[in-house]
Amino acid sequence: MTRPGPFAALMIGLLAFVMAGAQGRPPEEDRATGIVAALTQDVVEIQSTFDGAELQLFGAASGLQPGDDIVMTVRGPRTDIRVMRKVRLFGVWVNAAPVRFREVEGYYAVASTRPLNQFATFSALRRNGIGMEHLRLVAPETQRAQTLFGVSDVVVSELGGEIVDYRQAIVRNRAREGLYLEDPQGVEIIDGGLFRARVILPPVTPVGEYHADVWLFRDGAPIATRRTTLEVRKAGFEQGLHDLAHRHSMIYGLLAVILAMGAGWGAAEVFRRR
Amino acid sequence: MQVYLPIAEISVNLFLILGLGLGVGFLSGMFGVGGGFLMTPILIFIGIPPAVAVATQTNQIVASSASGAIAHFRRRSLDLKMGLWLTLGGAMGSVIGVQIFAILRAMGQIDLVIALLYVMLLGAIGALMLVESGRALRRRWQAQKSGQTWRPRRRRKRGMIDALPLKTRFPVSGLYLSLIPVLGVGFMVGVLAALMGVGGGFVMVPAMIYLLRMPTSVVIGTSLFQILFVTALTTFLQAAQNQTVDLVLAALLIVGGVIGAQYGARAGQKIRAEELRAALALIVLAVCLKLAWDLGTPPVDMFELLDGRRGSA
Repeated sequence: MTRPGPFAALMIGLLAFVMAGAQGRPPEEDRATGIVAALTQDVVEIQSTFDGAELQLFGAASGLQPGDDIVMTVRGPRTDIRVMRKVRLFGVWVNAAPVRFREVEGYYAVASTRPLNQFATFSALRRNGIGMEHLRLVAPETQRAQTLFGVSDVVVSELGGEIVDYRQAIVRNRAREGLYLEDPQGVEIIDGGLFRARVILPPVTPVGEYHADVWLFRDGAPIATRRTTLEVRKAGFEQGLHDLAHRHSMIYGLLAVILAMGAGWGAAEVFRRR
Repeated sequence: MQVYLPIAEISVNLFLILGLGLGVGFLSGMFGVGGGFLMTPILIFIGIPPAVAVATQTNQIVASSASGAIAHFRRRSLDLKMGLWLTLGGAMGSVIGVQIFAILRAMGQIDLVIALLYVMLLGAIGALMLVESGRALRRRWQAQKSGQTWRPRRRRKRGMIDALPLKTRFPVSGLYLSLIPVLGVGFMVGVLAALMGVGGGFVMVPAMIYLLRMPTSVVIGTSLFQILFVTALTTFLQAAQNQTVDLVLAALLIVGGVIGAQYGARAGQKIRAEELRAALALIVLAVCLKLAWDLGTPPVDMFELLDGRRGSA
């Protein structure tokens, strides 16, 4: 997984960044802080034997002081989803009461040096969407603007408190599949300003563009941030088949029929001669 | 060894799928049934999304019915004219079935409907087979005691089917019959293929014998002919409209199924028919009970996440 070549280069580069922050700057800019990060892979390929993947994020924070904290989030591609509640009807569990959520992240991991609420303010977490309680889960069809307590245009859900059940259901279901993860000890400070975190992708990882963000938190608020990207894609044969199925579904259908007929005919021939 | 299925978008164990294909193929060869009605629920049990399981299983039936249909075509043991009319009815059923499938999927109810249909179908077939094979076993036992040879019951008398219009001649079957019941039987099988991923032989063969009163010598060949073309069309429509045919899964099922069926057919010749049918009936009922149990047990989570890109529920 980790090849020594690019990894060594990455570490040297990160080290240089820390050194520059620690020594190379004049004293009056000593409080200048910055953060960088890189992933051991920037492309994850899903091949026929794909059973999940694990990669490392390495980063460096310059001007890191005691009491500072580092947070990493990784967000997967966004899609619309429907959440349906199970209702018992004549002894059988059926899906009912669908709520459509817009642009929900297909993967979301958050790792930090300490539990989030110990070093970050509620508003900082909410604004940046850090932590499971602060994910942006919007169901526009259930929302309307209302004037509440004299404040106009307050967005309220027509479902009232029930919308919370739906939001929690998304996080819970995704967590069960390993798609939403939260690790309050996931960011490990190696030495000085260097840190690392694991990014675990489950077998059901959706394909698409991923963003890994690192934040340097001081006094409850982020003072530096950096984003890197990661691409998860199907590779080779799987990619070809998936593209064919969705872009040229007629050809794919014909191919499926021809292959099956050929296989049946071939089997008839082989076993007739025996 | 794990294999990633590009359409189902999950990893499955290669040997598990091959083994299941072999096992169900063996049973289908032994009992002379397509095996779709066993394979689709089993695929659902191991975690394949029901929509993908149904559509992919149809593709597997194309392969298994092709080898059978070719053999019957060589022996001329099929009624081509009847087969073509049944296929026409089946094509209409398939087109409508795939539309219903798409609508149910958009409503988030396809998994439930598939499971419910299977519970009803497997329950009915399993119970009928069990009763019928039990009766046959008892009759044979009584016949052995009294020293007589037992003969199957005579066919039923002519019914109201003869009163229907649009009559035409089927020279191979020696029938002068209305096209309406022929198209109707074909249509029903086409809908079943689209919604349940089954060939429908278990419905069509009794219908051909008892309803259309075709001679048994051409029934199997003709039904295989119809199943081949209807499942081929269904596979194509499912791929084109719902994108639920997984070629990797289909290939694994076909390989296992084809080999299993050949050995099953050989094994079947050595075992007596009534015991065999009783055994199959018990398997069918077991699968039915498992599906029914799963429908009634409280789900792991009281909410389900579904794709929001299609449909407007």
